[in-house]
Amino acid sequence: MRIRASIATIAMVALVAAAGTRTPSAAEDKTLTIGVLGPLSGGAASYGVELVRGAEMKADEINKAGGLKVGGDVYKIKLVSYDHKALAADAATAANKLVFQDKVKYIIGNAVGATCNAVQTVTEPEKVLFSFVCWGTSNLGPDKPYSFRAMLSQWEVAEPFYRWVKEKHPHVKRVAVISPNDTSGKDTNTAVVKALKGLGFEVVADEYYERGTKDFYPILTKLLASKPDMLDVAAAPAGEGGLILKQARELGFKGAKGWTAGTNPFTIIGVAGKEAAEGVWSPTNINVKSDFVSATVRRFGEEYEKRYKEVPGVIAVANYAAFDVITKAMQDARSLETDKVLTALTQKPFDTVWGKLVLGGKDTYGIDRQFLYPMVISEIRDGKVVDIAQVLPSALKK
Amino acid sequence: MSIELLVQALLNGFGLAMVYVLVALGLTLIFSILEIINFAHGEFYMLGGYVTYYAYALFGLNYFATLALAILTVGIAGVVAERLIFHDLRGKALNAFIVSLGLLWVMQAGAQLAFGVLDKPVPSAFSGVVRLVGLVISVERLVVSLSAIVLIVALYLFLRLSRPGRAMRAVAQDPDAAALQGVNIDAVSALGFGVGCALAGGAGGLLAPVFAVSPAMGALPVVKAFIIIIVGGMGSLPGAVLGGLLLGGVEGLGALFMGSAAVSILGFAMVIVVLLVRPRGLVGGA
Amino acid sequence: MEPRQWEAATPAVGIALITLAVGALPLVTRDSYYLDVATTILMNLTLTMSFRLQVSTGQINMAHISFMGIGAYTSALLVTRVGLSFWATLWIGALVAALLAVPIGSVALRVSGPYYFLITFAFSEVVRLFFNNFFEGLFGGPSGLVGIPKPGRLFGLIFDGKLALYWLMAVIGVVVVVALVRLDYSRFGLTADAIRQADLVVETLGVNVFRFKLTTFVLGSFVAGLAGVFFVHYRQVLHSSDFGLEPMVLLVVFTVIGGTGSVWGPVVGTILMTIASELLRELHHYEILVFGAVLILTMLFAPEGLVALPAAARRVLRKLRARATEPAGVGLAP
Repeated sequence: MRIRASIATIAMVALVAAAGTRTPSAAEDKTLTIGVLGPLSGGAASYGVELVRGAEMKADEINKAGGLKVGGDVYKIKLVSYDHKALAADAATAANKLVFQDKVKYIIGNAVGATCNAVQTVTEPEKVLFSFVCWGTSNLGPDKPYSFRAMLSQWEVAEPFYRWVKEKHPHVKRVAVISPNDTSGKDTNTAVVKALKGLGFEVVADEYYERGTKDFYPILTKLLASKPDMLDVAAAPAGEGGLILKQARELGFKGAKGWTAGTNPFTIIGVAGKEAAEGVWSPTNINVKSDFVSATVRRFGEEYEKRYKEVPGVIAVANYAAFDVITKAMQDARSLETDKVLTALTQKPFDTVWGKLVLGGKDTYGIDRQFLYPMVISEIRDGKVVDIAQVLPSALKK
Repeated sequence: MSIELLVQALLNGFGLAMVYVLVALGLTLIFSILEIINFAHGEFYMLGGYVTYYAYALFGLNYFATLALAILTVGIAGVVAERLIFHDLRGKALNAFIVSLGLLWVMQAGAQLAFGVLDKPVPSAFSGVVRLVGLVISVERLVVSLSAIVLIVALYLFLRLSRPGRAMRAVAQDPDAAALQGVNIDAVSALGFGVGCALAGGAGGLLAPVFAVSPAMGALPVVKAFIIIIVGGMGSLPGAVLGGLLLGGVEGLGALFMGSAAVSILGFAMVIVVLLVRPRGLVGGA
Repeated sequence: MEPRQWEAATPAVGIALITLAVGALPLVTRDSYYLDVATTILMNLTLTMSFRLQVSTGQINMAHISFMGIGAYTSALLVTRVGLSFWATLWIGALVAALLAVPIGSVALRVSGPYYFLITFAFSEVVRLFFNNFFEGLFGGPSGLVGIPKPGRLFGLIFDGKLALYWLMAVIGVVVVVALVRLDYSRFGLTADAIRQADLVVETLGVNVFRFKLTTFVLGSFVAGLAGVFFVHYRQVLHSSDFGLEPMVLLVVFTVIGGTGSVWGPVVGTILMTIASELLRELHHYEILVFGAVLILTMLFAPEGLVALPAAARRVLRKLRARATEPAGVGLAP
């Protein structure tokens, strides 16, 4: 018995001591270690994996070009990514490891609402710059000056999107909204419903489903009975959104379709099938193969597909752009200090794969920490994504 | 709320219930023969889905041939898993729990690394819908349900009439007596595990065109399978069928009246009630 | 189950060693990350030891983590809405968990074995879904609760920093370990073990098995509630994923890999497996794959848990030595 407890104790102390003598790699000169967090396993893995890939693509690009030149120094970028499995407690521990062990001052990329809050309890007190795609409203605020959202959220997107619908498609009066039952789903529906009501639409259904659901017949039967003109799959991820559209069509739905929080149009077209995906409007999709995107985006898409054998969704692009913007801000600030980079970020617009990008959102969040860029409304026609309108955020209209 | 709506709701629930029953039957078969609960069961379902994706969607093999391939491949995978990992764990429920959990993670993470993380669609072999007196059911789901029923009947006949099937039943009833009668327990365990996994693989193959495939697709069916076998009774084939219909009906109707979280709670409430009132399950006797 | 005669003499030594290790850690490192991992280990330890308390009577309570959640929500709400101090809600939260454990346990204990496992699993999902989806104004819905304050002052001591919180959890943890170890080595532990092996027999000996099991259930839930209160004021964020199937399953893994046969099993299992999983983080997206493989291999090669390995090793050595000293003709020369 003595032996058992001794083994346990000695093992613990030894491992801790041994690990403690490890040289943290970021302490070396000329390496900039940047952290990426996300769910890399389980049902939400597509988000985390896309975040890591987007960051990798930009980091490799910078390194291949000789490194990141900041002030008089040149840095090689090293990425450290951890899997938090969509668990808030795990995210906090992973963030602790990034900040205190790997000594990162920048975490670029995280997804899943509750985990962002958990990470922020670590990053904010340590002045670590934290950029994420989480969609919870409580994720941004004046009490969290080091936190950013790198992707347009439902709060930026819902109102202009439905304003466009009202203008261009006045026959749409009754809208049904459905999202998964989690933070982003809840916030998305809230934002969408608020926008709809403000614009005079009738909200005939405001529904939630458990993440992981594949059979939507039961919930669709109820939803379609209220005879909506438009079905918005809101915050549903591409796979589930596609299933909702496919099954809605089987059940006889022939109305307009929207995807307010669209991520990967190719997946949704694949899963829903061409006919069911026909006519889906989305204000957040990015189609890296479209004729309307810049050559940079198309190149990004091609290289991504070559490297990872899958087409990138908007999250990969968002993190690629975030990485781009933040490293550019470092160069503008001529410093790696987060306070200086923060100032540089809020000072002027940046040129990115999205087009012109600026930080804004003070009206909604109390502080300018939301990435704003041209919102592109697209429609799926004959299995292809076609960009049909561009809406500039007011901050970019000057 | 019209009668039409209620009946459609019931139909929705029943629509794919038989496929979940297949998954449940696989789980309960393994439980009866090896006395362990395989938590990685959903991953064999997922494997069947990916075999279907590669053989049917990418390679272009005939749908029913693909189904047979999925059943066979996953069955063999099951036998391998049993020989390598599970055969020493007979009756050791807690250890089997941990091991199958480990297997779940290995298989799911492995699938993600091997097949990619995005949902992969599988084209439907059958399209169109059938409309009868205002009710709708898709042809695809109809074919899938009928195929599942065929497989369930095939399983029933196999267990009843074939030698290996009867050996399995003997081991499930009383392994010591079966051993005394000359039944090779090892062989039956391996075969039983294989057949159980094959059933899950078949279900995965059937649902692949309906729901697309993804590495984590096995999580939900396995929860449904648990609810089904508890309600119906562990070790009972007719019990599983009854449990499946009951769960399907409850979920279908429930969705009309309450939110999705409440419907999930309803499923678990059913489990609690059955375990308290009739722990052996509605038809159970094993 | 391993015979425990030779263990009987030294629970005190084990406790002393643990206390020493816990106390010595801050001398070895002040790194925030290591303190965080150590605090997490201590939290998990209280959970696994109280889980194992129930396992010792044969109950695999899959709702154990739900009581951690109940303690957490109770304290979070009382502190943020009613303005109570953490030092009060620590006990109130644990008590609420224990009180709710009475009806839930009474219902669950009407069945046993795999059915008990399944019914507690069903309960845990109901609890999680309840906190995740109902009374959003109170529980925060799918977004959970944020901005929960750290523990307030006590006798002028501030509990803001990682080190102070580590000490707090260390005290709670050591107290729990001491209490549960002593309980296990007492008559209570013998009764529990007897019940696990043959509860009908024990019933005939005059023990009210149901009441005994319920007591362990409630006691275990009380400790889980304590852990939950600390958890929520340490992390300052509470989400239903924190007490769902995934963390519960990890508790079971830690306990079983350590070895359910001994009260020290959870100690070994929790410490080693938490450290292992933190080390595996380095593998980034291979983490889960390797972790799963580790589970399979450990269970196959140490089916009675890591805690039983030294004894198993000794047995093997004894056999080898015996064979080596065999006389005449067979085997090796001495």
